[in-house]
Amino acid sequence: MILSPKDKITTPQAAVIVINFILGTGLLTLPRSSTEKVHTPDVWISVILGGAIAIIAGVIMVKLSQQFPEKTFYQYINDIVGKWVGRLLSLVVICYFLTTSGFQLRAMAEVIKYLLLEGTPTWAIIMIFMWVSLYLIIGGINPIARLFEIILPLTVILFLVVTFMSIKIFEIDNLRPVLGEGIIPVLKGVKTTALAFSGPEIMLLLLPFMNQPKKAVKALIVGVSIPLIFYVITVVMVIGALSVDGVVMRTWPTLDLIRSFEISGLIFERFESLLLVVWIMQIFATFTITYYAAALGLAQLSKKSIHPFMFGLLPILYIIAMIPRNINDLFKQGDFVGNMALFLFGLLPLLLLIISRIKGGKYETNT
Amino acid sequence: MKEWISKIGKKGKVTNNDKLEATTSQDTTGQFTDNFILNLEMVKQEIGHNWDVHFREFNLGRTGIRSIIIFVDGLSDKDLIDKHIMPSLMVDFSAEYKQDLPYLKGGISKEFIKNEVLSISEVEEVRSIKEFTSKVLTGSTALIMDGSLNALILGTTKLKTRTIEEPVSEALVRGPRVGFTESLSDNTSFLRGSGEIENLSLVKFQVGKRSKKDLVVAYIKDIVDPELVQEVENRIKKIDMDSVPESGYVEQLIEDNYLSPFPQVQNTERPDRVIAALMEGRVAILLDGTPFALIAPVTLSMMLQSPEDYYERWIPGTFIRMLRYLAAILALFTPSLYIAFISFHSGMIPTKLAISIIGTRSGVPFPALIEALFMEISIEILREAGLRLPKPIGPAMGIVGGLIIGEAAVQAGIVSPVLVIVVALTAISSFSIPQYSAGFTIRILRFPAMLCAATFGLYGVILFFLFMASHLVKLKSFGVPFLSPAVPYRLSEWKDLMVRMPLMMMKRRPKMMHTKNPIRKG
Repeated sequence: MILSPKDKITTPQAAVIVINFILGTGLLTLPRSSTEKVHTPDVWISVILGGAIAIIAGVIMVKLSQQFPEKTFYQYINDIVGKWVGRLLSLVVICYFLTTSGFQLRAMAEVIKYLLLEGTPTWAIIMIFMWVSLYLIIGGINPIARLFEIILPLTVILFLVVTFMSIKIFEIDNLRPVLGEGIIPVLKGVKTTALAFSGPEIMLLLLPFMNQPKKAVKALIVGVSIPLIFYVITVVMVIGALSVDGVVMRTWPTLDLIRSFEISGLIFERFESLLLVVWIMQIFATFTITYYAAALGLAQLSKKSIHPFMFGLLPILYIIAMIPRNINDLFKQGDFVGNMALFLFGLLPLLLLIISRIKGGKYETNT
Repeated sequence: MKEWISKIGKKGKVTNNDKLEATTSQDTTGQFTDNFILNLEMVKQEIGHNWDVHFREFNLGRTGIRSIIIFVDGLSDKDLIDKHIMPSLMVDFSAEYKQDLPYLKGGISKEFIKNEVLSISEVEEVRSIKEFTSKVLTGSTALIMDGSLNALILGTTKLKTRTIEEPVSEALVRGPRVGFTESLSDNTSFLRGSGEIENLSLVKFQVGKRSKKDLVVAYIKDIVDPELVQEVENRIKKIDMDSVPESGYVEQLIEDNYLSPFPQVQNTERPDRVIAALMEGRVAILLDGTPFALIAPVTLSMMLQSPEDYYERWIPGTFIRMLRYLAAILALFTPSLYIAFISFHSGMIPTKLAISIIGTRSGVPFPALIEALFMEISIEILREAGLRLPKPIGPAMGIVGGLIIGEAAVQAGIVSPVLVIVVALTAISSFSIPQYSAGFTIRILRFPAMLCAATFGLYGVILFFLFMASHLVKLKSFGVPFLSPAVPYRLSEWKDLMVRMPLMMMKRRPKMMHTKNPIRKG
């Protein structure tokens, strides 16, 4: 118990990691980005479809990883496609994680500058954030999982409180008609919404850390379903309150929703500070886990200790975060990350699963 | 018996079975010999220069055997020596001696003295001078007899103890009024005496290289995780210090992370608290000379619990406990949130409130941070001064200081009245935490929180929270995660975390302790 600290996480912890990974910028941007594509009030159907796709993709990734329950993606990919292709793919995945975390970092800094600290330079906002994150990940996967377990209940409570307070300006008519223009617009938005659920890919790395890898599918389904509920609530409330046209106009529609009502008589009349608390914590979670995933990848590729990579990645992440010149560039970067995810975690795991199944029996002993 | 029979004729000497021993053992330096004069010389050289060491020479049982008892004035129980030891040694026991054994002129065996003459419970033989002196200097009485190779050590230690008082640092409205005292044997007797506890083990250790002190590790054998006991004992054995004056030393030397602001071992003056911890499978450490016992491992939630939560019915228990959590959060974050909202996000507080706060602050020449720091530090100084002052003037000074700081500072326009409320709230909240050392942690941590708030506003406060949480999730106390059972989630144990559910629902001991026997008996 004391002398052999096993770095294992429980099934609920795995689910919590997936939840916290998924919830991130999406909370603030999903209503706009998806409504832009769909242009009808049926966005919530797109969100549900997107979640379903994420679950399917996630299950494929879990099935793939379950063939090698002792190894992470970076390790077993060599067994499937050979050393060189494997290394290349690992590097691409690492790049994906780095870009994602850089994107989260910058998105966070932009919102903070917009809402909280107008005069503070971006570098200061980013650096202090990275340091706290570095301090956490030095401890390994277990502290990360535990911190996420602290963040999650706070998120759920504060988020529900804030969203349900906006029920005052909620107009059900804004959500009508359901499927008024048929299913086609809904499908157009599915790609965007599915990308908001990027996060199940962490299962590729998480499996060897789980004390019951067999329950990974369960963890994944719970892990995607809870953000799905959150996203549906967000989209419904935002569109219900601001209407489709109102949503498209705004950069951060969720925040504008919270800012658009005041409830007098309570300590705070405006609740965006509470939403921001939730949101900063969620971004922190997403950033931390992607940062850790990238460092883990580099460490496993080079078969060296992970700590130098954690420190070494700090400046790289900073540079990635500072690349976009403005907020539009940032969203483009986000789209790029999304497309990367679509290929890496939508198609690739399926291919790998098929290849490993064809190659057959060699690894089956592990499952 | 045969041995001493063969030694007939050694006039005026206690016969000796140790003779063989003496010749076989090579190294006899620093050990007693059979030469009484030499022995006495050695002892006198070692400790004779101390004024409080008393030598009393006499003849043993009218036999003419030279003997001496040595004791330290004040440490040894003179009453016991005068009434039991001296009379029994000086009375003529030759008659009695004659009855069952052939009369030996002047030859008396050490065993006889030990078994038939001395009417006290603790008797021990020592050979080396070093051991001898350490025993004598801790209150035992030594008896050296002419001809004996070993000195007899008689347990006459009598420490001056105070009467049992109510614990000062952990007052309760309801609950036993018993607090630990400075005497280790008293303290262990509280544990033993509070109802018969099955399998309560009290294992003794010695700490301190120069000033040796007894330390007892207490646990319940069939509940506690043996690995935990092993770990505690290992850490105690590793303590390498000249002297260990208080259990705070032990605490600091065995804790997991000395850089952490959070105490990872709990200290308590309450025997009932220790017993409750033992019943949960924890280990208690009692040190001689201090009323503070240590409990390990601890979790953050224990810092916010009081035995009273369990003595009261569960509804008030739950209410009080939640109140304490709220108080801890308030004590930690109110001043920093005040700074953040005043200096960065005044738009986020309700307009009317904002106007009134800004109105009262209009004359204040300092930024919110300086204003808050000024007040918080004054309050801390006031608290510290109140502790140090003699008891009769302490409260008076507190009132005066409070008046000056609150009323006068506001009137002078140095601080705003809202801040006075904030500071008062913080101070009161921090004192409502039942553990003094945990309250300290929170009071210290609110200063970095204020600095974060002053640099980054609300964002800084959130990051400070995340940083603190990151630290807490990494922290372990003897292998038990500091935040358990909150995280990792153990839903079945949340009924004793923020709330205190009815006692009959708490059938199991905390799982994080890996107890051998998970079901609470009875």
